Amino acid sequence: MISPAHHNLSLTLKIWRQPHADAPGEFRTYQLQDVSPHMSFLEMLDILNEQLIEKGEEPVAFDHDCREGICGMCGMMINGQAHGPDHETTTCQLHMRRFEDGDTIVIEPWRSRAFPVIRDLAVDRSAFDRIIQAGGYVSVKTGQAIDGNANLIPQQDQESSMDAAACIGCGACVAACKNASAMLFTSAKVSHLVQLPQGAPERKKRVLSMISQHDEEGFGACTNTYECEAACPAAISVSHIARLNREYMKAMLTSKE
Amino acid sequence: MNWLITTLSSTVGRKFVMGLTGLFLCFFLVVHLAGNLLLYVGPEAYDHYAHTLHEQKGFLVVAEVLLFGAFIVHILLAIKLSRGNYAARQISYAKASSKKESRLVANVVAPEAWMFWSGAVVLGFLILHLGDFKFELWWGTSLQAIDSPYDKAGVILRNSLRLFVYTLGSIVLGVHVSHGLASAFQSLGVNHPKYTPCIHWCSIAFGWIVGIGFASFPVIWSLTESAAAP
Ligand code: FES
Repeated sequence: MISPAHHNLSLTLKIWRQPHADAPGEFRTYQLQDVSPHMSFLEMLDILNEQLIEKGEEPVAFDHDCREGICGMCGMMINGQAHGPDHETTTCQLHMRRFEDGDTIVIEPWRSRAFPVIRDLAVDRSAFDRIIQAGGYVSVKTGQAIDGNANLIPQQDQESSMDAAACIGCGACVAACKNASAMLFTSAKVSHLVQLPQGAPERKKRVLSMISQHDEEGFGACTNTYECEAACPAAISVSHIARLNREYMKAMLTSKE
Repeated sequence: MNWLITTLSSTVGRKFVMGLTGLFLCFFLVVHLAGNLLLYVGPEAYDHYAHTLHEQKGFLVVAEVLLFGAFIVHILLAIKLSRGNYAARQISYAKASSKKESRLVANVVAPEAWMFWSGAVVLGFLILHLGDFKFELWWGTSLQAIDSPYDKAGVILRNSLRLFVYTLGSIVLGVHVSHGLASAFQSLGVNHPKYTPCIHWCSIAFGWIVGIGFASFPVIWSLTESAAAP
């Protein structure tokens, strides 16, 4: 429901507060008046934080950077939905006009064994970095840049690879999955590189190492529930997970290691 | 051999094997249901089928070993995967709500969210079912006295506990495979814009056929109880 744009909102916010990773956390309730429907969700939290600081309380910690939907930092669970109710939208791009006057909004951090809470809504997503480090790269020749037309890539493959490369690594797939599986993220990274000639040399090694790192980090397995796809702000398709499954089994059955 | 162990302990490898065994078990369901439908053709047809099947000793041994193997692997991996998946969340959400368009209302009734538990119910049903038809436990000598497999099936199906467990078990099995069949294809890496929508709908249709098909036997046999009594 879109509320009238000229109407400011009064909201009840239930926010997870946790001072640090090892401290117990709890929900705390805040009342926020006069919220403009034109604000983004993060701006609404900024206003709350200003008020908290004025009162001498600790502001709510949350991750953010670009505030334009490209960096993937601003993930949080809003009323039980990763990045809130909109599809293909990050929290920073979510507007307060999506809410009604008088609404209660429950805000939680991503919940996953592999994403420990740093503080309040901010979680440690370095597990994703380690999955990338395990194989999400290509080896290239150093020296002069090669001619742009030296590598011919069919347009379809290039498009499909780009679709996978749209992943911003926000972690919404993990957050929305009932198994806290990072399969959509990992598949996007594998699928991005495997469809390009540049990705060919590490093809087998990449998928094997990335899955082994994925499992080591403590993410769950994919049970094909597809909540990840629905929650993904970059619209990554689960068809990439199928490609990952193919690549993994092919690599397992044919690699010499 | 190392690679085999690595595969079977990885999330993707385990799901691959879940898919393979699941597909094989779905194939078995088709054969089993087709055989059972002969109950509707009549005693001669069903008895003839049962006798012919039981005469194929060699084939039966191979088929049963494969079936039991697939069941055991499917169940063991289900336990392993579910435990890992449960542990991966660690802390559950205070509020959770689906973003899938088809699930905005019926989040709780989604078959895919209950695969482990629907599988557990099916396992319970299966144990009773094997005890009834294969091993003839729990029946004393009453079944041994009957020659015709058709009549035996009639006695078992008319039991009120069987009516309940078989009907419930069959419906839950239908729910289980309605997600399981399509899911198996995805786990095996089969996802293609040409075929995936069809696989999805076929899987749901298969769930209905399996559920209604198998549940029909106890229901219809207990309805015809009085008419069929000697
Ligand atoms: S802050 Fe960069 S995506 Fe939201």
